[in-house]
Parts: sequence; C-alpha cells; structure tokens
Amino acid sequence: MNILSFQETERILSKYKIPFCKTEIFNSKEKAFLFAKKIGFPVALKVHGQKVFHKSEIGGVKINIKEEDFDLAWEEIISNVEGKIIEGVLVQEMFHGNEVAIGMNRDDQFGPTIMFGLGGIFIEIIKDVSLRVAPIDKEEAEKMIKELKGFKILDGARGNPKANINSLVNMLVNISNLALKEDQIKSIDFNPVIVNNSKALVADFRIIV
Amino acid sequence: MNYIFNPKKVALIGASEKENSVGLGLAKNMLSDNVFFVNPNRESVLGVNCYDKITDIKEDIDLAVIAVPSRIVKSIVDDCVLKKVKGVVIISGGFKEVGNQKEEEEIRDILRENKISLIGPNCLGIISENINASFSYATPQKGSIAFLSQSGAIINSVIDRAGFSKIVSYGNEADLELVDFLEYLDKDKQTKVIAIYLEGIKDGRRFMEVARKIKKPIVLIKAGRSKLGSIAVGTHTGALSGNYDVFVSAMKQIGVITVDSIEELIDFSKALASLPKCKNGVGIITNGGGLGVLAADYCFEYKIDLPELSKETLTKLKELDGVENKINPLDIIGDAMPQRYRIAMDALLSQKDIGGLIVISAPQTMTDHQENAKIVIEMRKKYPLKPIVCCFHSGELEDIPNYGDVLRAVKSIKKLYE
Repeated sequence: MNILSFQETERILSKYKIPFCKTEIFNSKEKAFLFAKKIGFPVALKVHGQKVFHKSEIGGVKINIKEEDFDLAWEEIISNVEGKIIEGVLVQEMFHGNEVAIGMNRDDQFGPTIMFGLGGIFIEIIKDVSLRVAPIDKEEAEKMIKELKGFKILDGARGNPKANINSLVNMLVNISNLALKEDQIKSIDFNPVIVNNSKALVADFRIIV
Repeated sequence: MNYIFNPKKVALIGASEKENSVGLGLAKNMLSDNVFFVNPNRESVLGVNCYDKITDIKEDIDLAVIAVPSRIVKSIVDDCVLKKVKGVVIISGGFKEVGNQKEEEEIRDILRENKISLIGPNCLGIISENINASFSYATPQKGSIAFLSQSGAIINSVIDRAGFSKIVSYGNEADLELVDFLEYLDKDKQTKVIAIYLEGIKDGRRFMEVARKIKKPIVLIKAGRSKLGSIAVGTHTGALSGNYDVFVSAMKQIGVITVDSIEELIDFSKALASLPKCKNGVGIITNGGGLGVLAADYCFEYKIDLPELSKETLTKLKELDGVENKINPLDIIGDAMPQRYRIAMDALLSQKDIGGLIVISAPQTMTDHQENAKIVIEMRKKYPLKPIVCCFHSGELEDIPNYGDVLRAVKSIKKLYE
C-alpha cells in the first residue's frame, strides 16, 4: 500500500478534470521559495512521500506561511521528517472557503463507493457523511450533498459563504468515473476540498495504490 | 421455477415419523394426495405408503424435496436426475456453511447439467399458495407478501403475522440465488411486495442491477450490522456481512426500503401490499384525544402533511353531535359511536387534499370496534385510491393494516409516499 507520487496524482487529477490548488513539489528550498513567490504568499508546505500516511501528526504540514517565515518553516519540516523517505515538499497556494471531504473506497461486495462529508470535526466526531456506490450521476451527487445534516452550512447559514454546489457535483461525478476506470487505485482521500462561491479545489490529496 | 412453486406431483425424500425430526415436520406440512413419501426404512409415514426410491414412483414428479443426511444427498440427487424431476429443494445442511464447498458444487453441477433448478441446500424449504414444502411450524394465511429469508427461524417468527404469497428459505444459494427469486416474484401475480431478511449478499453490484429493475416494492432487513453480528453471520450462513453503511446507501440508491426491525418489515410490507400510494396529506380520526395528538406529532416528525379541514368538510361535519373542535386531527370524542366514524371518515376522505387516513379506535367503555371496522372496510371500498391505516383495539379489518401503536401506523403510511 503506497501513496501515489505527486506527479502521478497530478496526472490523474488532470485526466479526470478534478481541479486542485496550485501545487508543486520541491527538494530545494530556493526553488520552492521562487515558486511560492510566483503563486503568492501566504502558502502551505506539506511533505509528500510514498509511506507518509499521516503527515500532520509528524509535523509535516505548515499552513499560512508568510514570505518572511518561509525559511524557518521549510527547515522545521525537513527536520521533523528526518529519517523518513520523502518524495519532496509540496508548496501550495492557500485557498479559502468551506471545507468538505470526499473519499473513495472499494467495498468487498459493492465495489467502488464514494463518500462526501463536511470537513474537520463534522466528519471526525459527528460522522455526518453520505455514501453512494459508483457510478453516480449529477442528480445522485446533488442528493449526496443535500442529505448531509450540515448542508445548511454549505448553503450559507449564519453568514457562512455560500458554496458552489455545482462544482462539488462535478467533482463527485468525476471521482466516480475515476473510481470505475482506474482499478489500480485502492482508495482516495481528499480532505479537505475547499469550496467557495465560485469553485471547489482539492487542497489535500492522498491516493492509495 | 414455476414447477417448484406450483408442482403437480411432489416427492419428499426422507419422510419420517421420528418425533421432533425435520422429516416429520415436512411430511405433516406436505401431506396431500399429490405427495409421495420416500424412505427405504419405513413402510409408511402418517398412513401414506413409502417408496424405497424416487425412481419407484410411476407418476411424473415435478418437485423433489430432500431431507436426508448430507453424505447421501448426492446419491439421492442422482436418483432425482434419473427420475427427470423439474426442481429440487435440498433441506439438508452440512455443505458450504460448514466448509464442504466442493460437495455442494458437485451437486449443483449435476443438477445444472440436467437443467434441474435447485433451492438450498441448508434451508427450511419453500411455501406457496399451493404447497408448504418446508418444516415451518405453521402454514401461513394466503396473502400478497412474498418473503425471502436467509434464516428459517425468522420465517417461523413471522409466519402468523401476515398473509403470504410465497415464502422462500433460500439457504446457501448453490444454484438459485436471491436475485433469481426477485425476478420471478416481480412477475408473480399473487405477489405485491417483496420482503427480505438478509445476512450476506453474494455480489452487491449484481443485486443492485437486478433490484433496480424490480417494479414491486422491496422491503429489506439486514443482519450483521455490528462487528459481533457480522462474526455471527459468518458462522450462521457462511456469508460475508460487509459494511452496513455502504449497504444502506446502496439500497437507498436503488429504491429498496431498509428497515430496523422485523416488526417494521412486516408493518411496511402489509401497508405496501394492500394499500395504494398516498398522494396527499393525511387526515387523523380518533376517539381518544391523546392518541390523536401523538399521531399528529409523529406526522410532523415524519414530514407528513395534515391538511386543514375545508369549508365543505366542516359543513359535512355539522352532523357530528357533541364534537366541538373540528380540526385535523379530528377527535370525535371518547363516546363516539360508529355513526360518528362514518360521518367523519366520509367527510375527510371526500376532501380533495386529504390523500389518506389514520383511523384510531381506542378502547373506551362504549366503543364498538367491530362496527367501526366494518365502516373502515366500507370506506376503503368507497375511496379505493386513498389508503387507510388503523390503530384499532380489536375488530376484523380484513386486509387493512392495523397497528398496535400510532407511531407504527404513521411510519407505515409514510412508506406509501416513497
């Protein structure tokens, strides 16, 4: 069981038209800095490696990094993951909105299943998720989103920004297509996917092969 | 499959008179002029002559029911092939569920080669309008619910709680599988709803593909939801129980109703089997205020609309002497005699935006449940497109569902919207 390389992840996401935050992988701090500058600060740094399953727990993730803090953040991450085999460190744009989670798993009896939930505590503690067996069409994807108890949060409750539901619908349908065609992929964990009123972007990806 | 459910002549191999034996249970249930008993160790069973072998019977046999020790099942199956039977039910256990997969496949292959359908092994048997080829403890009333069950004991526990068109204990599914029965029952004229007790599913995607096309409602209860439960499933039928959340989602996707209890399985099946769809809000009529209020609360909780009574309806209700508050839920008061039920039901059912009724007949001193029941039956005929469910203390309501708790009535009528 391995995490798919960044390059392959990028290829798969593009192939199935699944948009993600601007991201590049680096092993050199200088090159990473130049890229960060190009996409604009603040940025996120995330370690990526075949066997790095829980990157936050080992201190492999830092977000909202300003230009002046970049050097220190890079050094800290490198020292935190010392001894681990990594592919590199991802430099990623910060994109703001509601956090949701989308997953794919293969069930012994039903084959590929698609999961949708609100991010953060909603998924971990309240387990407010919806599930479907792939394939799903747009109509089914929309039902999945709307059946969440916390749907009102995406719908603009209490001053929350209204999420672009259509972009989430498309993402779910595209992941369903991916699941049916790419047998080598065992599971997908996109958490969070960030959605604002214009688009949804995958911010964190873990594709297991 | 028609030969299995509607056989002309049947043979029971392993008929017995031994007390508490499966062979005796089967013999008692199957006893009729069209049944032949086979048992080389006996002259007769229950006064019917026993043959040594099925091949000794002169008449053509459509269905052979086999209840012999597992080690001799194969030789009996060979005889059935020689006899050219059309279908076989193997009651005997001792196959895949205890690890004897090879023996089971061997028997299945012999029968398949000879185009003989097989139900089982390891099952309670089958029941149809024409035959009870099972060792169930009773024979059910005729009805329009078909019940497919992976457990024989669950069949026994519901057998006197509803009327059934067919009951199938499908056992290890060596040949005929759950999906085959779904396809058969969808075309079966006597069946209006299909109820299923399921532990494990062989191929989830195939089940979805078939069940999606079934036009009749399917109500299903799945066991093996918890970790402990799924281990128990493994030892019970040798099936894999799988992830319950995925299962429920899959069923929702294809329009199969999943329920939480056997009581709900029967409650919903009864409503779906005997009543039309509910196309609008419901009216509540009660002779007990409290029960009416509870019913209204439950309707709110389950998002069932309670339309206000229209001017026309209120005019019709003027005949209700002694009833002051005329709202929906309509409390016709504890001293309601049958005439009040008649006026109330007729008035509410004639209101356009009332699509169905919940009628409560609580046991007050003066209540005449029997007469009230007659009025319900009469109204059901007068308004055939509007479902009526009841909470009657007693009274003969024929096929109109009657529930012991208003919550059960509300949840059941809710199923008539989906």
